[in-house]
Amino acid sequence: MAGGQGSDDLFDSILLADERFRGEGYQEGFERGTQRGLRDGRRHGASHGARLSSEMSFYHGFAVTWKCLLQQKTDEKSRKRVKALEALLGLIMNSHLDDPQSVKLQEDTEKLRAKFRQVCSMLSVPTDFKEYVRTAEKTSF
Amino acid sequence: MKECLSLVQRLSAHPDSRCWFVCWSPNGTLLASCGGDRAIRIWGREGDSWICKSVLQDGHQRTVRKVAWSPCGNYMASASFDATTCIWKKKDNDFETLTVLEGHENEVKCVAWAPSGNLLATCSRDKSVWVWEVDEEDEYECVTVVNSHTQDVKHVVWHPTQELLASASYDNNICIYKEEDDDWECRATLQGHTSTVWSLCFDGIGQRMASCSDDRTVKIWKEYPTESSQGDLSWKCVCTLSGYHGRTVYDIAWCRLTGALATACGDDAVRVFTEDPTAPPDEPVFSLAAQATKAHNQDVNCVAWNPKEAGLLASCSDDGDIAIWRFQKEA
Repeated sequence: MAGGQGSDDLFDSILLADERFRGEGYQEGFERGTQRGLRDGRRHGASHGARLSSEMSFYHGFAVTWKCLLQQKTDEKSRKRVKALEALLGLIMNSHLDDPQSVKLQEDTEKLRAKFRQVCSMLSVPTDFKEYVRTAEKTSF
Repeated sequence: MKECLSLVQRLSAHPDSRCWFVCWSPNGTLLASCGGDRAIRIWGREGDSWICKSVLQDGHQRTVRKVAWSPCGNYMASASFDATTCIWKKKDNDFETLTVLEGHENEVKCVAWAPSGNLLATCSRDKSVWVWEVDEEDEYECVTVVNSHTQDVKHVVWHPTQELLASASYDNNICIYKEEDDDWECRATLQGHTSTVWSLCFDGIGQRMASCSDDRTVKIWKEYPTESSQGDLSWKCVCTLSGYHGRTVYDIAWCRLTGALATACGDDAVRVFTEDPTAPPDEPVFSLAAQATKAHNQDVNCVAWNPKEAGLLASCSDDGDIAIWRFQKEA
């Protein structure tokens, strides 16, 4: 009966070829997809990270510069403005920029943008910095 | 004895345009209106009728959406779709532009003065709410920008006695803000309406709030004390009025003198609800006391109770008219 067993195997391998190849193809495709997903994800993350970082760095430079300009003045108005600038700097320092997984990142960023707009209003500076501001709109997937 | 709404006078306030909002001066002698014709009109009583006392033009480039009187009655603020808020100062018998507040990215939807007169709140389609501080020299400075809504903010209103601010939005929510270390923060988000919340108002003592929505309902919210004074504020919906309004409810006004609740609706009607005084405070009952089904030819945009004369109600509409009503017991 051994021969019978062999012919069974032979037929099995033909009959099951379709399934086997599909399994192998799936595995291969899965691996390739994983690779591509990782690559795309990294690119997506890098571009969003870069945009957010350049936006935040712009706020930082803006705040530091204005603080330097106003620091020496003693009038009430300048004092208030410096206080608002310090609040903005505080938010920048405490934001979880280096942790993209942070659940607070979106909230922190929104707060920071709102503070920046308030500071601009106090300084009578128009918020028309399109190249820097709001380029990192809500991350989209 | 039944109550009724009787028409006192109809005014063609903003002809060939929409009349968006009306607001009584704090002493109840003047009514300010604004509209799609970019103008603000001031109405006063002469003898038995209401007449236009002055027209404020050239303040805005686009529709004037809302106007607000300062608590002292000497200033007025106007919010416009041109992204600015104008502050007007009373001089002799007229008004002149004092300053223009800029900062919102697009349409300013509402402006409101805090009861102290030292703070002003504005909100916009840009999803933000701004609080401005006024100093002795009539200078305005932005003290905060808050982004707590995810959509267009339709309305802002101050608590009658505390420095507490509430806002209504296209995101179906109501937010309540309080000052915290020089900054204003959202301390409560009231969820319940299933569509745009168009307007809201506090009752006379500020323990309750009424909101109206595109979902055709009116909701009454009540404040409940929280265990810790630092925690978030707790407001709960204690009553929902549904089945009365055929379309979007655009505005709601709670009379400080009588406790009556008036609504402005997209079905062209003005309705007045009164509260059952015997109902328990945690389960208030409001019933329809009177309605003017064809109050206007088009959507009713706003209702406002006169702050001094009980039962005197003003409404305005997309048809450009203002209607003055008297809500009283039927003779």
